[in-house]
Amino acid sequence: MNAITTTSCGLLEVSSLSKSFGGVRAVCDFSFNAQPGEIVGIIGPNGAGKTTAFNLVTGVYAPDKGSVKLDGVELSGLRQDVIARAGIGRTFQNIRLFKGLTVLENVMTASDPYAPYGFFSAILALPGKRKADREAADKAREYLNMVGLGGMEDARPESLPYGLQRKLELARALAIRPKVILLDEPAAGLNPSEVRDFIELVRRLHERFNFTIVFIEHRMEVVMNLSHKLFVLSFGKLLASGDPETVRRNPEVIEAYIGEEE
Amino acid sequence: MLQNIFFGLSLGAVYSLIAVGFALVFNILKFSNFSHGGVMSFTAYAGYLAYILLFDGKITGVTMFVAVVLVAALVGAVTAVGIERVGFRRLRRNQAPVIYYFISSITLGILLENIITIFASSNFYSYPVFFSSSNIQIFGTSFSIADFVTLLFSCVALGLLLFVLYRTKLGLGVRTVSFDVNTASLMGIDADRVVMATFAMSGALGGISGVFLGMNYSLYPQLGQLVVKGFIASVIGGLGNITGAVIGAFLLGIVEVGLIGMVGSGLMPACVFVVMLVFLLVRPQGIAGKIVQEKA
Repeated sequence: MNAITTTSCGLLEVSSLSKSFGGVRAVCDFSFNAQPGEIVGIIGPNGAGKTTAFNLVTGVYAPDKGSVKLDGVELSGLRQDVIARAGIGRTFQNIRLFKGLTVLENVMTASDPYAPYGFFSAILALPGKRKADREAADKAREYLNMVGLGGMEDARPESLPYGLQRKLELARALAIRPKVILLDEPAAGLNPSEVRDFIELVRRLHERFNFTIVFIEHRMEVVMNLSHKLFVLSFGKLLASGDPETVRRNPEVIEAYIGEEE
Repeated sequence: MLQNIFFGLSLGAVYSLIAVGFALVFNILKFSNFSHGGVMSFTAYAGYLAYILLFDGKITGVTMFVAVVLVAALVGAVTAVGIERVGFRRLRRNQAPVIYYFISSITLGILLENIITIFASSNFYSYPVFFSSSNIQIFGTSFSIADFVTLLFSCVALGLLLFVLYRTKLGLGVRTVSFDVNTASLMGIDADRVVMATFAMSGALGGISGVFLGMNYSLYPQLGQLVVKGFIASVIGGLGNITGAVIGAFLLGIVEVGLIGMVGSGLMPACVFVVMLVFLLVRPQGIAGKIVQEKA
């Protein structure tokens, strides 16, 4: 975890990202960046292409055009598991936990992707491997404690309340030791007290790991409380960017988005 | 009676190896992998060749049996991994519909059989006899040693597999990818490697079952078509469910032996398929279907 503290880590530069599905331009020439340790919000009306942008950054889709650089290293065009191991973790708008696994196993799936899946060492159950397994489980427990899910290791994720499922996704994202973490509408479906709780949690994790956070969110409470910088996306294009207060007062933004929401 | 039950169990053990090899791939790629039959034929021949070329006259009895099984398992693993590379990886890249996998698997299975026919002809070969005395006496009843060894080895192989699936990181990877490949990749899991490892495990089981089939039925290119037994067991147990496949396979073994006693070996296969049809129509999720639902 020592690498995370150096200042050169977690610099995300996304430039002129474009993606069309058939004739629909989902994302068009979208550029944004996040400095190391910065918390960046991406907002925009429904269907503006926000989640598509996340999918392009994480390699779910290959961009038609544009580049994604993490600490200067080009990531676009790489496989999604390679991008994840390069240090980009994420959560999902529609929670995507592994429902057949326990809470602890959900976190362990992601923990330490650097450890090889040695087939023979898996079968032989070498002593060193058993120690590594125990350490992986301990690590996963630690992440669960951080998000407040300690003591629920053996529960099934589908039996948890919605708010806790969101936290579990967060713990799983932490387990890949991300330099940049992408949160896709993390507060969707949470009640007001859960939202406040969630903002606190993100702050705490940010202080602890000092990673870069990019999040998509509709709730203004979250957006205004957390973000250092905002990018507004509308119909796949960048509409405005800047510090939250300026963006909030931008008449174009109010017309496109904030006006209709609040 | 006791003898028959034991024979049923031993038969069920072989079926369970086939069914689990089948279920492993179904679990992860959601299609019925009929190339598994080709792998079984191929490995049965590989075991036989290893016996003739390497082991004959040098080792005997149980040692030779173990050596042949290990060679077959290894060849099976390599063959299955090769099949995945040739037949399925490109389909996965293109996110092709499941029916393409199915067709590809049948094609590859038939291809393997034909390759074997070219090199080994369609003659029948008899498998080496590993155990000199064919029966042992326990509690006054005589049991076939071959059946006994079959049962023992199958259980060991299955135990090993369950250990890997539920107690190792690799197993966790397999289970994760079987739930959701996309999310698994986004969590940094190399899906290609997990799929490869799954095929290797499936192929190794196919190899072991290939040797057992060769011992029971002698060697011919279409030997692997007995994969249908594994398929039936999988359907009865619940497709893609490992535990269900084992239960289904042992049930199938015992029912088959029972049916031979009741209606004779001629009518038995027809009866078995009727049972399978009933399962498909009445309980398509299989015996363990409910459990899968809860887990998934």
